Amino acid sequence: MTTLNDPSVAGVTPFDTFIYGAPPLAYPPALAQYVIYNTPDPAYLTPRINVSAFANLGGGAAWPFLNTNVPLNGHVCVPRGRGPFPLAVFAHGNHSPLENSTPGYLYLCQLLASHGIIAATIDVNFLNGFNFGENDGRAIVHLEHLKQFRAWNNTATHPLHGKVDLNRILIVGHSRGGEAVGHASFFNRLASIGVVVLDGSLPFGLGPYRFGLTAAAAIAPTDRQFTPVSGPTIVPDSYYVIHGSQDSDVFTFEGYHTYERAHAVDLANPTVSDGKFKAMLWVHKANHNQFNSIWASETPPGVAMPRPSQEQIAKVHLGALAQAVLLDRAEYLEVLRDHGAAVPWDPAGTEFVSQYQDPVRIFVQHNQEGIGAPVVSLPVQGTVAADGVVAARQLTALVGGAPTTTITLRLAWAALGSRLLLRVDPSTLPAERYRTLALRVGQSTEASNAANRDQDFTLEVSSGSHTAAFPASCLHRLLYPDPPPFGPAKIVMQTLRLPLEQLAECGVDPTDLRSISLVFDRRATGTLYVGDLQWSN
Amino acid sequence: MQPPVPPKISAVEVVPAQPTEAESAAIAQLNVETNRSLPQVAYVVKVRLRTKPPVTSMAWALYANDVLIPKYWEYKDGIYFTVLDPQFFADHKGKRLRFSQNGVDFFDTGVRLTAPRTPAAESKRKTARSARGKGARSSGASAARLPLQADVLK
Repeated sequence: MTTLNDPSVAGVTPFDTFIYGAPPLAYPPALAQYVIYNTPDPAYLTPRINVSAFANLGGGAAWPFLNTNVPLNGHVCVPRGRGPFPLAVFAHGNHSPLENSTPGYLYLCQLLASHGIIAATIDVNFLNGFNFGENDGRAIVHLEHLKQFRAWNNTATHPLHGKVDLNRILIVGHSRGGEAVGHASFFNRLASIGVVVLDGSLPFGLGPYRFGLTAAAAIAPTDRQFTPVSGPTIVPDSYYVIHGSQDSDVFTFEGYHTYERAHAVDLANPTVSDGKFKAMLWVHKANHNQFNSIWASETPPGVAMPRPSQEQIAKVHLGALAQAVLLDRAEYLEVLRDHGAAVPWDPAGTEFVSQYQDPVRIFVQHNQEGIGAPVVSLPVQGTVAADGVVAARQLTALVGGAPTTTITLRLAWAALGSRLLLRVDPSTLPAERYRTLALRVGQSTEASNAANRDQDFTLEVSSGSHTAAFPASCLHRLLYPDPPPFGPAKIVMQTLRLPLEQLAECGVDPTDLRSISLVFDRRATGTLYVGDLQWSN
Repeated sequence: MQPPVPPKISAVEVVPAQPTEAESAAIAQLNVETNRSLPQVAYVVKVRLRTKPPVTSMAWALYANDVLIPKYWEYKDGIYFTVLDPQFFADHKGKRLRFSQNGVDFFDTGVRLTAPRTPAAESKRKTARSARGKGARSSGASAARLPLQADVLK
């Protein structure tokens, strides 16, 4: 594997930072923090937009405009050079409107710009307040900022003319802004939303969009505060989510629901993939607010990790994501596949749980056929036998929040040597086409799991003549859940990835794969939850 | 740390107001979808709160029994939402207003949804009054006599 450089370290590309905005804006004294947008760089003047079909202005602040003419304000870090440069645009979430949340991601914008990415952080503060359901409006604001960058890119006299790579765009949102990037990814492909035709026509003047979104990334997002008429948003682009175990605002892992809906198995066409990946990072001891450098910590001292550590984690992992999806440095996908690849750069001692689903995959067991006993998933054919282990597919609320619609396999055992055995017909499982056996599994705080101790078992894979056995712990730790600030602990599954290469070294023939077993021979008792088992890249 | 506590409601009031341009477009679409002729009225449901919780990203979703109010907004005394189809009140008047953060655990506020006084009749009455006063024939004329939402929320 190529040696990776620390993605949190600034690159060598010089860049300039500009404020863009839509003056005149007579902000009252209570909104003095926004006065900076009244004197944007003269080259970066923006129009107003009409979001009245989606949102009213947040209360608690006397905004000097209406929801029919909100400004496109932001900060943008522009690399020097000819370009074209990829684009990353960050959006904050809900917070006191009296505090300007926008500059809170400049530390990430500056990092990305130093690597040759145009990076902006946008003003959505006018939707902040004690309100609900406005995240479609946040998504529209985010997309309209992208439209502004497209307009600048297409304007011959503008400094950004020809410098924006509109086929390499990453949208990032935090908190409600994190939910909104999922909606933005969805809206980006639509011709209309309700009464609003997204073709730029009046009275709303919104759209058209259809940007080349490379990925949507959500930092501690909410979920389903806005629900489209078609049902909960399914993110159509590659999706990344990061969330902290000590988050005391979004204290249930809402983004996990978004993650589960994205790129899920299509029961009618289980082998069909939409070509997108998804990845998740659960950070023990991270809280909500410290991902934004402006927001004061919401947790008492000593509960969460120090702010510099949390910002470092954001820089490492969002930096790796940007390197991979915006700069075509696919080797950085390794950080998404296995957070262990980032150990040298993450704060020492930090514990993580991560998941990754590759676009190239075939499910051996996805568990979505229904409640009840486990089966091998079609088109793979086979049988499942539980020996000394109670195996049941159920709708378990793994991470709190709204009821889940994703089925998980619960495995409970009370004697060493218990086993879940999946026998497969090798003619239906072309494992040799893939590079990795991937299994999502995590432990709970149920009494059968010893508190604060990693859970473990043996993964056994057999072909016609050989069996290879690996302790799960040699692939990754199965951490005991971090006690949350309040409410039940979250069961966050870890993706264990066993390279086909390692199996082959043990003599396992991938063209003749006969069985996969979870052997519970390393802990006398335990309860584990399994999301899915797949061959993938 | 303590989990967040839901807001407490002190009163609910429904005030007919002029629809915004976006709401007028939504009313027109509703008319087409339902083959009805809805009044050009936006019913502003003002939910007065005893105290407003801090601004966070997690939200207290508001329900009338099990029906989610999809959007609400802040004003100085609490929150408000708008209703464009008076049938909403016919269907949900008297139902308990409840808050929830997850759609599973509900907190009953002890307050029930009120309705405008016979919204259809009110609209007709105002339309007739407006038509008499101005010689106008359209329902838009009645809307013009209604207060602006900004004034309703002062």
